[in-house]
Amino acid sequence: MTRFGSTASERFARLGDGITPDRLRIVAAFGAAILIFGVGAFLHHGFASVASIEAILTVASFVGLVAAGQTFVILVGGIDLSMPWVLNAAAVLLATSSLGHNDRAIPAILLALGLGLTVGLVNGVAIAYFAVPAVVMTLAMNGIMEGLTLGVSKGLTCASCGSYAPLAIQNVYHTKVVGIPTDLLLWLGVTLLVGFVLSMTTFGRKIYATGNNPLASYLSGVRVRGVTVALYMLSGMFAALAGIALVAYGGQPSLGLGDPYLFQSIAAAVIGGVSILGGRGHYFGAAAGAITLVALITLLEAENMPEYGRSIVYGVTILAILLLFGRKEKAA
Amino acid sequence: MSASGAVGGWEQPPTKRWKQSLVQGSPVLLALLILVTLMVLYIVLFDAQLGRLPGLFEWTSVVNTGLPTALVAVGQSIVVLTRGIDLSVGGIVDVSNAFAATHIHAGAGSMLGWTLVILLYGAGAGAINGALIAYARLQPILVTLATLSIWQGVALEVLPQPGGTIPTTYTNLLANPNRPWGLVAIGAVALLWFVFRRTSLGVNVYAIGNDEYAARAHGIPVRRVKVATYALSGLLAAAGGLFLAASTTGGDPTEGNTFVLTSIAAVVLGGVSFQGGRGSALGALAGAFILTILVNVLFFANVNPLYQPFFQGLFLVIAVLLGSLLGRIIRRSSA
Repeated sequence: MTRFGSTASERFARLGDGITPDRLRIVAAFGAAILIFGVGAFLHHGFASVASIEAILTVASFVGLVAAGQTFVILVGGIDLSMPWVLNAAAVLLATSSLGHNDRAIPAILLALGLGLTVGLVNGVAIAYFAVPAVVMTLAMNGIMEGLTLGVSKGLTCASCGSYAPLAIQNVYHTKVVGIPTDLLLWLGVTLLVGFVLSMTTFGRKIYATGNNPLASYLSGVRVRGVTVALYMLSGMFAALAGIALVAYGGQPSLGLGDPYLFQSIAAAVIGGVSILGGRGHYFGAAAGAITLVALITLLEAENMPEYGRSIVYGVTILAILLLFGRKEKAA
Repeated sequence: MSASGAVGGWEQPPTKRWKQSLVQGSPVLLALLILVTLMVLYIVLFDAQLGRLPGLFEWTSVVNTGLPTALVAVGQSIVVLTRGIDLSVGGIVDVSNAFAATHIHAGAGSMLGWTLVILLYGAGAGAINGALIAYARLQPILVTLATLSIWQGVALEVLPQPGGTIPTTYTNLLANPNRPWGLVAIGAVALLWFVFRRTSLGVNVYAIGNDEYAARAHGIPVRRVKVATYALSGLLAAAGGLFLAASTTGGDPTEGNTFVLTSIAAVVLGGVSFQGGRGSALGALAGAFILTILVNVLFFANVNPLYQPFFQGLFLVIAVLLGSLLGRIIRRSSA
């Protein structure tokens, strides 16, 4: 076997070797999701039926897409608070630029993704090159995108604002490939792709290196600023992708579409074991976290728990998970 | 500037001390400069639109609108000074606001009693945050995100829909629409900050924000100080909720949610560094009123209200860039 071949196979071998605490977290997050489905099936006949699981996974996929972008920036110790209105702007842009025509679907998708990438570029440059704190920059950017979306679309009352997403895109949510809904296959594809980038590429190594110690990474030749900008661009792109997915699912964009996804994306990452300090965690965990979170919310709704109760349970759950897993090592 | 001179002055030769003050005080100075500029702009635009100067009623309204944000922002700034962040202030404002609107009735006993209970609740809620962060060693942003959700839920339980009433006496005491009594509250907060800054707690806050390990090595009770800062933040958020209820003369269990973002924005505009240990609550106070007057300026400049968040966001970015640029210039010239 050649040298190169062996390194590749070594990488595969390393994937399965040893159960590190971080990998255990991913397993635990999936376990929690299965547990909730189990409890749900016990309480409600049909909660764990195929149709119900499909519906929950579809909703989880929206959280999961936003969480993908959030995971990327959290891995370098950043955060992206601009996602709600980047998502919303992309959703409105997709509908208004395609006007519902199938032949415009591809350009409209590219336009919406380009919007996300551009916003991410601005965020990333301000954070990496002008040392604006990530919380402040993305918070301000959320306001900027909100104002632009509301202003340009005149509060979603513009002539083309009533447009639907092209049927070709909407069909993703109504078709199945080999018995599996297309949208879930797409999410699976995204999950595998993000997992591949994080675990098996030099870019992924650089992300973890930057997150663990930016200075050491810089001194070992990682272009820390470039990596940071790229990650915020990815974050913007995933927010836009979630916007496209939500318009495809619902047919039409609405205002405030993205608001629930900020806290849910952070919560999903936390449940999945992504450390807010950067450098630790994996998207597989965040994806499992998204499923756990949405399954929990669905179960509480099925239990007819009022909104206030859900909000409290939601907070207590995050605290409990943090107390179980999220404690910093004791300072020396 | 008031809050500036003391920090680290001992390590500078006496002749350089004013420069040290300038480095420490420049963010607050910049915030005040922006505030004054916006006030002038407001007066000019108001005059251009209505043909007269803004009078007592208009200024009182500015004070009353800005005061809840200002109180919450002062609490937030103390937490940010220790390198923390408190997202739960939104939920604490919600609960205080809802409690005030459903429980405070006319009569000195009810008003005083419930005010104390609500303030104690705020301090307690903050102390829980602080304990989870300091003793259970959890991340501030995640802990307060979770408690934000919990308090939002509690507020909806206390007051499911906007409603409830606030006794007129209470409104007239805290947020009189005709007389700017709110200025007294602002003065009191500024004075208290001046004192706080010189207490051992105040000094410890800066020490922890600058270098937590060094602070611990010097025998500062880091964990207790952190609990105290979050408790203060909770207390001030509850006070913000009370002033909000007084000025809107009713309750809304979700109105506090905007305070998460506005308090952070005010802290940033006030020049408090997210790296901790640098800045002053007075800056946050100014920052809160910058945000309030900015809304008025945009209104009288005939900016389409739909674009308002756009200009607020842009303004925030520019202010931060300006602040860091100014800091760099001053530090270079005094090096």
